[in-house]
Amino acid sequence: MDTTAVVSLKGISKAFPGVVADRDINLDVTHEIHAIVGENGAGKSTLMRILSGLLRPDSGEIWLRGSRVTITSPGHAAALGIGMVHQHFMLIGRFSVMENVILGLEPSHHGVLDASAAKARVLALCRQYGMALDPDAKIRDLPVGLQQRVEILKVLYRGAQVLILDEPTAVLAPQEVADLFQNLRALKEAGKTIIFISHKLDEVLEIADRISVLRRGQMIGTVLAQDATREEIARMMVGRPVLFSLDKPPATPGDALLELKDLSVLGGLGNLACDRVSLSVRAGEIYGVAGVEGNGQTELVEAVTGIRKPRSGSIMLLGKQVAGQNPAAIRHLGLAHIPEDRQRRGLVLELSVLENFILGKHRSSNYVARHVTNTREARTQASRAIRDFDVRVASLDLTGGSLSGGNQQKLILSRELETGPKVIIAAQPMRGLDVGASEFVRSVLLKARQDGCAVLLVSADLEELMALSDRIGVMFRGRLVAELDRDLATVDRIGQYMVGTTAEAAR
Amino acid sequence: MRHSRALRLLGIVTPLAAIVFAGLIGSVVIAMAGKSPLAVYKTMVLFSLTRFDSIALILFRCTPLLISAIAVSIGFRANLFNIGVEGQYFIGSFCAAWVGFSLRGLPAIIHLPLAACAAMLGGVIWALVPALLRVRRGAHEVITTIMMNSVAFSMVHWLIYVFLDVEQTTVPGMGSVRMRTPLVLATAKMPTMHSLLNPLLAPLGLEVPRHVYLNYFFPAAIALAFLVNYFIHRTPLGLEIRAVGHNPDAAETQGIDPNSVRLKAFLLSAAVAGLVGLSDLLTYFGYLDIDFPKGYGFTGIAVALLGKNNPVGMILSAFLMSFLRRGAEGAQVLEGVPMDTAAILEGVMILAIVVASSVFTRYARAWQKREARAHADQ
Repeated sequence: MDTTAVVSLKGISKAFPGVVADRDINLDVTHEIHAIVGENGAGKSTLMRILSGLLRPDSGEIWLRGSRVTITSPGHAAALGIGMVHQHFMLIGRFSVMENVILGLEPSHHGVLDASAAKARVLALCRQYGMALDPDAKIRDLPVGLQQRVEILKVLYRGAQVLILDEPTAVLAPQEVADLFQNLRALKEAGKTIIFISHKLDEVLEIADRISVLRRGQMIGTVLAQDATREEIARMMVGRPVLFSLDKPPATPGDALLELKDLSVLGGLGNLACDRVSLSVRAGEIYGVAGVEGNGQTELVEAVTGIRKPRSGSIMLLGKQVAGQNPAAIRHLGLAHIPEDRQRRGLVLELSVLENFILGKHRSSNYVARHVTNTREARTQASRAIRDFDVRVASLDLTGGSLSGGNQQKLILSRELETGPKVIIAAQPMRGLDVGASEFVRSVLLKARQDGCAVLLVSADLEELMALSDRIGVMFRGRLVAELDRDLATVDRIGQYMVGTTAEAAR
Repeated sequence: MRHSRALRLLGIVTPLAAIVFAGLIGSVVIAMAGKSPLAVYKTMVLFSLTRFDSIALILFRCTPLLISAIAVSIGFRANLFNIGVEGQYFIGSFCAAWVGFSLRGLPAIIHLPLAACAAMLGGVIWALVPALLRVRRGAHEVITTIMMNSVAFSMVHWLIYVFLDVEQTTVPGMGSVRMRTPLVLATAKMPTMHSLLNPLLAPLGLEVPRHVYLNYFFPAAIALAFLVNYFIHRTPLGLEIRAVGHNPDAAETQGIDPNSVRLKAFLLSAAVAGLVGLSDLLTYFGYLDIDFPKGYGFTGIAVALLGKNNPVGMILSAFLMSFLRRGAEGAQVLEGVPMDTAAILEGVMILAIVVASSVFTRYARAWQKREARAHADQ
């Protein structure tokens, strides 16, 4: 490995009113794949936004290949050879790959777009870096993995020598992650320097040469990936040891509390989003639903929780037919729902923590006295529950939107679980949470399992599913294409079902 | 927590700043008309606030604006834009008038409340079509209620023709025709506050003039503002209305049917809207004619916006609007500045307040977020 620094950050500090996002950060990135990890709010994004010209540091220096630079804008960063691949793609769905890549820097001849030259350049780039892409394909027809490839291509087209990737694997299936990593290695071979931001430790250990850890705005240290262990990095991130191999006693499943039979659900566009799905979840077990997002999991959860009316099939909850009933009736039977999008479906961000806590049970006799909300009782219950669930909030009167992601999720958990539900539907419950908060969510779900709950866990994160589930079903294009006992499941096998390569064999 | 007090203070300062800003723009307009802004504003203030008849008149004119704002604000809470207050109070006023002139032999204690109930019912009936169209078909209430407003005006004109006051229609010897309903019976009329206020004011040497019809709908409207606020913040349905207004998806997930809540909020808004015309109808005119005051519905939207749906805010805003109009009357007579200046002031003020409050909201949210984060890190 070449040890001369390509990018050096020296004493970078950046404060926002009231918080210091980054404090005296020193970082040397050589010609390598350099991972930057840290919990949410550790200062990774701020640091990268400084490097890509979106923010100016309060103090400190940026050095690029031995000379000091002051980066004034993203355009300036691009001119200096620094390119950022954002987590949320910035592509135009109706445009072709080629059009998206050249947008903003179109080769032209007397003011007319030189399409053939553009195409040739895009093709040359694809060949150069070994990225298979059809320049004429429309973005909206491409799977997520290929869209990301287009994003990378865009950055390369602008002549980037240093590529910053912000949580690039968050949206990818395992096979797509493997492809991405292959591309990244090829880019490194071709002389590019890659900065890779993530909080998935296994991936970081696999792809990175070196790993730098940030915690609360400070650089904790940089380690060589080949010498590091997951536990060590997690400890650096959190500041204390983190439990990975959960203390998970064997399942003692009881009766089936939730049974789906031939459940078909239409999606928002009238498409068949769930196609004759049958599964059952027993008391005291966690049933994991794996799958790349958009393969019907959302609609499945919405049907079970009553938000979306199923087209056909049956949903038996605690022995009662609930297909087509409304969410209130289904909840009332003892179903808790941890929605996949906590800001859209989980909380009303404008309402207070207290109001969010009682929402849904605000008409129960506990909380209503003479037609008026019994605020004192609500406060007592809410205070107790948020203490039990470790929601850190200064006052019950702050808005839900003022909480951090982890605290929002804990607030939802406290609301949903304090009533002692029999069945829990948890959709992507750890998404976007940092190590500490996801550890908490995991332990809560496992405790519910011990208490005899039936838990349906939907997740796109295989690690998470493997760690928690007793059985795993895989959804692909609306169908449950496989169901595996945890002991027989491997990431590889599930991954193949997820992308449909063995879908035929399974049926 | 010490910040929350500063924030609350800032929340009060924001609309005041907008008012000052509007005043500055207004100065430019007045100066362009060739008058001295300072002199005009001085006249407006003196004319409105140092004459007791002006103050009483301002309070009288406040009443329909405040009720209208309350109606609009209930809709706003559920993220519904009830532009139909206008039509709803026209129909409501007709229903009240009808009950007022047609039911004979009732004691006042029954007749007047009955007329008010009829007004609310009229408002609800008029809102039923847009509300159902919204809830069942997703038709936007702004479009449908505007249509219903036009229908309401014409409908009331037709109803006046149907119930035309035959006895009063022709004035003997003059042959003039008054297009109006029969007079509301005394038992359905709301008394003015003179008999209560004048003995209290006498020691101060003040008197509510006989030509000012300040009546008990004014204190009722103030009470209604607080009552609705209590309902919105302290009852289960109030919570549902706010939850659906902010985030229908999350409400639905928690087992609340957003459409049913929207329907209830819409009809509640319309019921209050039905009351808007009563202060004029049951105290001042005593009949409904083709010139019954229009525009309270639209001004109510401005008052609700300016007062940010808050009871005290809306009371002050309604007062401000009435003050501006009364002041403009004074400025027109005494300074020769056209009444339209007040309309310009109103418009600029609403624009400024909308901009200022969105800036403030963003700032307050960021502030709260930081505080919560700081706490979580401890």
